[in-house]
Amino acid sequence: MDFSLDTAAPVTAAREAGYAYTPRSLDRVRADDDLRAVLEGRRHLLFDGGMGTMLQAAGLKAGERPELLNLTHPDAIRRVHEAYVAAGCEVVTTNTFGANAHKLDGAATVQEVFDAAVRIARASGARYVAGDIGPIGALLRPMGTLSFDEAYELFAEQVRAAAAAGVDLFIIETMTDLAEIKAAVLACRENSDLPIFATMTFEGDGRTFLGTSPEVAAVTLDALGVDALGINCSLGPAELHPLARRMLAVTAKPIIVQANAGLPRIEDGRTVYDIAPEAYAQAVRGMVDDGVTIVGGCCGTTPEYMRLLAEVLQNHEPIARSMDPVFTTTSAQRLVALPQDEQRIAVIGERINPTGKKRLQRALRDGDLDYVVGQGISQQEQGADVLDVNVGLPGIDEADTICRVCEQLSGAVSLPLQIDSTDPVAVEAAVRRYAGKPIINSVNGKRESLDAILPIAAHYGADVVGLTLDERGIPETAKARFEIAQRIVNEAAGYGIGPERILIDCLVMTASTNQNQALEILRAVALCRARLGVRCTLGVSNISFGLPARELMNATFLSAAFGAGLDAPIMNPGSARYMDVVRSFRVLNAEDEGSSAFIERYGTWADPYKVASGAVPAAASSPAPAGDGRATADASTSTGASTAAADVPQSDTELAQHLILTGRRDGMREAVERLLATNDPMDVVNGILIPALDEVGRLFDQGKYFLPQLMASAEAARAGFDTIRDVMPADDVTSKGAVCLATVKGDIHDIGKNIVRMLLENYGYAVFDLGRDVDPEDVLACVRERGVRVVGLSALMTTTVPAMRKTVELLHAEVPDVKVIVGGAVLTPEYAREIGADYYAKDAAETARICEELFS
Amino acid sequence: MPQGTGAIWDSLRTPGLYRPQSSERPQIDRAEVLRYLGYAGQELKPDLAERIEHVICQVEETLLPSGVRQAFPVDATGTDEDGLPCVRLAGTTVELRGRDAYRHLRGACCCMLLVCTLGMASERALRLLGSRRPLESAVYDAACSAYVEAALDQMDAAVSDDAQKLGLSRNWRFSAGYGDCPLEAQDSIVATCNAGRLLGVTVTPAHLLLPSKSVTAFVGLFEGEPASANDRPGCSTCRLRGSCAYRARGTTCYRS
Repeated sequence: MDFSLDTAAPVTAAREAGYAYTPRSLDRVRADDDLRAVLEGRRHLLFDGGMGTMLQAAGLKAGERPELLNLTHPDAIRRVHEAYVAAGCEVVTTNTFGANAHKLDGAATVQEVFDAAVRIARASGARYVAGDIGPIGALLRPMGTLSFDEAYELFAEQVRAAAAAGVDLFIIETMTDLAEIKAAVLACRENSDLPIFATMTFEGDGRTFLGTSPEVAAVTLDALGVDALGINCSLGPAELHPLARRMLAVTAKPIIVQANAGLPRIEDGRTVYDIAPEAYAQAVRGMVDDGVTIVGGCCGTTPEYMRLLAEVLQNHEPIARSMDPVFTTTSAQRLVALPQDEQRIAVIGERINPTGKKRLQRALRDGDLDYVVGQGISQQEQGADVLDVNVGLPGIDEADTICRVCEQLSGAVSLPLQIDSTDPVAVEAAVRRYAGKPIINSVNGKRESLDAILPIAAHYGADVVGLTLDERGIPETAKARFEIAQRIVNEAAGYGIGPERILIDCLVMTASTNQNQALEILRAVALCRARLGVRCTLGVSNISFGLPARELMNATFLSAAFGAGLDAPIMNPGSARYMDVVRSFRVLNAEDEGSSAFIERYGTWADPYKVASGAVPAAASSPAPAGDGRATADASTSTGASTAAADVPQSDTELAQHLILTGRRDGMREAVERLLATNDPMDVVNGILIPALDEVGRLFDQGKYFLPQLMASAEAARAGFDTIRDVMPADDVTSKGAVCLATVKGDIHDIGKNIVRMLLENYGYAVFDLGRDVDPEDVLACVRERGVRVVGLSALMTTTVPAMRKTVELLHAEVPDVKVIVGGAVLTPEYAREIGADYYAKDAAETARICEELFS
Repeated sequence: MPQGTGAIWDSLRTPGLYRPQSSERPQIDRAEVLRYLGYAGQELKPDLAERIEHVICQVEETLLPSGVRQAFPVDATGTDEDGLPCVRLAGTTVELRGRDAYRHLRGACCCMLLVCTLGMASERALRLLGSRRPLESAVYDAACSAYVEAALDQMDAAVSDDAQKLGLSRNWRFSAGYGDCPLEAQDSIVATCNAGRLLGVTVTPAHLLLPSKSVTAFVGLFEGEPASANDRPGCSTCRLRGSCAYRARGTTCYRS
């Protein structure tokens, strides 16, 4: 059977090649009747217990790869399996936990190990053989260096090897990274039709090392289509019980728990574990009574433990479980849930969308992901629950850009992402690699859109926003909008996507041109909400185009939409006014229990409407938009100049320079604004700001300033440059030249590089910061694409200097005119010469001086 | 390893988890943070001092270090394929190559391996600050370095206590990457201590630890006088001594 015909990844590529997409369901999974009963939650299943523990007891060295014993000591492995079978285990797990190409590192092939391991497991007489897949042993990006696609390939190789060797099911286990387990699950789904069991490992704080909670794990794995999911390792069964309960509450999938026998200790030279078999079995019994149907053991458990678990399961009937439909979306760290029978609000932040935002457009074109990520961080701080991510701009590779933006965002914010694109290839690229259950924005009623987007949502278990428009455009009436929504819901059902995974967007029309539609839109929301089982979203701010006091209009519409049943407004959380509406509505819908959050925030709030009668407005409350006639705070009362000491010079030139020299940002903007009133901007830069920065550089060089002082000065200078940039048309701010910066391949330290970047930007260079762990080829590509003449490379460790040498050599061979500056803790001038660098810079200030020389 | 009996011997050989509660967490040495940042007596204005202190407090309040230690018998008789000394730890895959590790562990009855980390929360925080807030980011980085050292000091103090109870002496803690001991040893130290599973520590292909605020170290335990007792790893074994910025400022990168 060739599974690649219907589930080939990526979905868009397979469809392009003419394959019809069919969603995975239980009847497409290869399993015998008993196993099927397990997957349907009607039957218990007993896995085996610890393998590593038993092998160490038999003399395996600490740190050694146990998988190689399949080849060298097959009998020892078989005896472990046989002991578990004799204890009553139905499933034995192949000794392949670390049998991936990364960990095997050439000691054996993945296929060899799986062939031997499966043969041994079969020989034990076990009813089922589970192909074991553990973590790769390398951290994925953005925290680590391994890409999602590389992780997928490593897992896919294991899956193909295990399937060829004849396993009955897969057990993916001991995972702590949601991205990694997603890669493993997709590798199983896309390369075999066998059942998938998947477990993650949680610490005492109830989270994995990467911050994933049991709820996030359960919801995400359920959405990805695993057949049984749960928890293994790290803790004993009594400690895992509450975590299992949390999973049982959010998924109807069968739950598997494989606990440790507690912690190991050495007694009389022998390793013993602190939970005895009887206590272990007793604790597992509690979980089974609560609804856990599949059990086994992990570190420290032996056949004796499993024999007692077999007794626990004997004559025990699995509890029938069901789930009320809930809309859920996840990041690796956070779950956002919107239940069907109560109205909760999830704010979807709209700011990462280049439409009409020049600064964001420039950042996307320049590959300045820090700025884009900064937009995400600020929205999280402002109270968004989900972030919409749209990077669509003419002339950029949208699929590539959205993947990189999502990856960086997931390293810096904890909010789930909504992938917003009209290009199905970009949508799939991002959804596939996203660590969580994202929302796709969007599908609509057009046949072309339904056919392109729904398979992607189905395959990756994503949610989807459905727009009520079709080939005939956006209908005018509530009824016609509802009918399109209904069509989308019906089409989605054909892909196994229930209404609880759909957010219908009834599409806001502007009140200034379609005044009679405003209430129709709200009626459509109420209809969809009441009759389709979906949640509703709206891009709220469209209502006010062409009207004055837009925030006022938007806030009023937002309140009305909440009243009609709106669940997830797409809006700017940076507007305190909208957030005031959100927070107050959360009292009305009982989401803010006991109004406690509301009271905490607004208990001492100064109502901005009362400003006129003498109250002081609260800084955090709604700023009145210009021109609405309300009294506003006097901005001139709060400049930072008051923080400067008595020796503050009087002229603005001296003030600006003084602020830079003393590293103070406050007051810089005002000083530069005043300077710009009478001076040419470039004169302010070259005659005032740069000389002060040069002086700071000198003081740093003489040891009179240390690093934080240099950086505080750079911040002050940046506040000045930002002011000039805001005032001047973009084209008038000429860059002195372009510099490309990177921490070399293999190196993960970027503090030093970031300092260099900050300083060079201050000096007016256009800096293309490629980040850390950068391939030599990517540096070369940047040099060519951006016409860069100077490259700065950083390496902190001796082990990564060879990568620096390789990068220097590649640049010198391919673009001989480009000058390379190197720096980093382990470098010396001699070392720099030896690897062929053009310049060695001992610190950021020196890098700036070298650039001045190169660009003069 | 000496075949002594009793609870203390067992405790040395038992994987020892270091998981301080909030109240037990170590204090960050402020002077050390400043030294990492290149401080050498410059005038530090109160507003900048406050910013630095704020970041240090944030590190102390939001991160909890964790660690694992385990002792293994030492075999210091071997050499590697180039004929250089290569210390092996019995029952493990650990090989500590080079003269410096040999000098450190020759004559030791066992070697205590230590792995300590500030966890993925520190890594996320560093990413979050990143280049958006370079000053805070640099201070955070330095504060984490001092914090993980302070945590290692706590683990180390417990090693001293146990060694003393056994009548053993000990020497300084040494780390792969110092002197001529290659960083490659980190792979096997992490694997042997099961630090991936117990602490979430991974090693990159370039043998760097992730989370980056993690440290591996080893200490020799001796029945008699320790090797290199007064020869603490420092500038004398450092290959960067010729161009070191710390030395240029008259300080060291370690506490003297």
